[in-house]
Amino acid sequence: MADLNRRAALRYGAAGAVAVVTAAVGIQSVAVSGSAAAPQRAPAADPRDFDEVHKGKKIKGKHNAGGKHELHINGKKLELSAIETLFVPEDGSAPYVGVGFISALNHYDPVEIDDDRHKEGLKNLAKKVIETLGEFELSDEAARAHHH
Amino acid sequence: MAVRKSVTAMTSAEKTAFANALRRFKTTSANGRNYNWYIDQHVAFFSRTSDGISFAHQSPSFLPWHREYLRLLEIDLQAVSGNANLFIPYWDWTGAASPFTADFLGSITNGSVSTGNFSPPWGWTVYRSSIATTSLQRRLGQSTSRPTATTVNSVQANTVYDQSPWNSSVSTGYRSRNEVQLHNRVHNYVGGHMGTREAPNDPVFWLHHCNIDRLWWLWQRTRGIDTYQPRTGTTSGVVDNTETMRPFATGRTPASVRDISTLNYSYA
Repeated sequence: MADLNRRAALRYGAAGAVAVVTAAVGIQSVAVSGSAAAPQRAPAADPRDFDEVHKGKKIKGKHNAGGKHELHINGKKLELSAIETLFVPEDGSAPYVGVGFISALNHYDPVEIDDDRHKEGLKNLAKKVIETLGEFELSDEAARAHHH
Repeated sequence: MAVRKSVTAMTSAEKTAFANALRRFKTTSANGRNYNWYIDQHVAFFSRTSDGISFAHQSPSFLPWHREYLRLLEIDLQAVSGNANLFIPYWDWTGAASPFTADFLGSITNGSVSTGNFSPPWGWTVYRSSIATTSLQRRLGQSTSRPTATTVNSVQANTVYDQSPWNSSVSTGYRSRNEVQLHNRVHNYVGGHMGTREAPNDPVFWLHHCNIDRLWWLWQRTRGIDTYQPRTGTTSGVVDNTETMRPFATGRTPASVRDISTLNYSYA
């Protein structure tokens, strides 16, 4: 967990610096050229973020510092929580401890999310939940926070 | 006295009696509880409580908490059915026999359970569902396979009940190995509502946990009945051997449920 946070801090530290530089350049270009203002830029998005359609459902994922990731499926929120847990791979490789994300719908099936081997983790979690939902949507119950 | 049998050993009359008792308990209270009370407790005590204790999952009390939870349900089903011998059957998911048959838990295992004992036409609608539907959902075998007998044997071979840090990251300990490799996997194997926080919506929840409890009892008979850890209450966030397991009555501690011969049930 500490390692995850350290890497997240490095990532977001760098992203923040890029955003500041971009803003400064934007102001300068307005002052020099006097032309139309440069387009407003949102803070640099995490490259892992997504907003797409999977099996007919709109999935929107946002990665935030400290593992406070956000996921919406067809506009309905799915609350996530992180647990430190044992993983026992089904391929027989050695068990290991990692941080897994669970929700009301993948409550016994934690999914790893990081910016390395599991950088697609949040999207994989969304796809897994869509298999469970089938033809249905998330209910309000799925947005209820709980602590582990 | 409940003698808990395998699904494979149940008579047709026993299957009907169990299904009828569950359905009746959905609309009738017994001992101040009804079926949806159990779903509420599962959702509430899955989380850490406001004082930071994990009672039901990802902690040492996972096994005794569910033992007490099943014992209460069995008592309540006996009350609503008027049958003092009514029992919760167990599903040994390493074997070939399935509880998902038309005469028992319903034969639909992919999507909405729209026919049979636990379908809306028979009065079974889901409660506090995180999936926006009124029908019980199942996705049998779609995300993983069942644990094998080999996996069960390797889990049963653990010699220590549990150890620090007392959560789901414990790699050497009977409780966490059972919880992660057997318990979690079968929830995921059945899928649908069984994979959710509100899993007791699916009656197979009880048959699955009955088998988990049976395996713990078999483990206790080999390793010792009085083997729960931790023994003292100095570990934060954890239920020690003599601490009450909420939401159950005062005195319902891990120690109080360690010996099933004092709990009015046995395994056949």
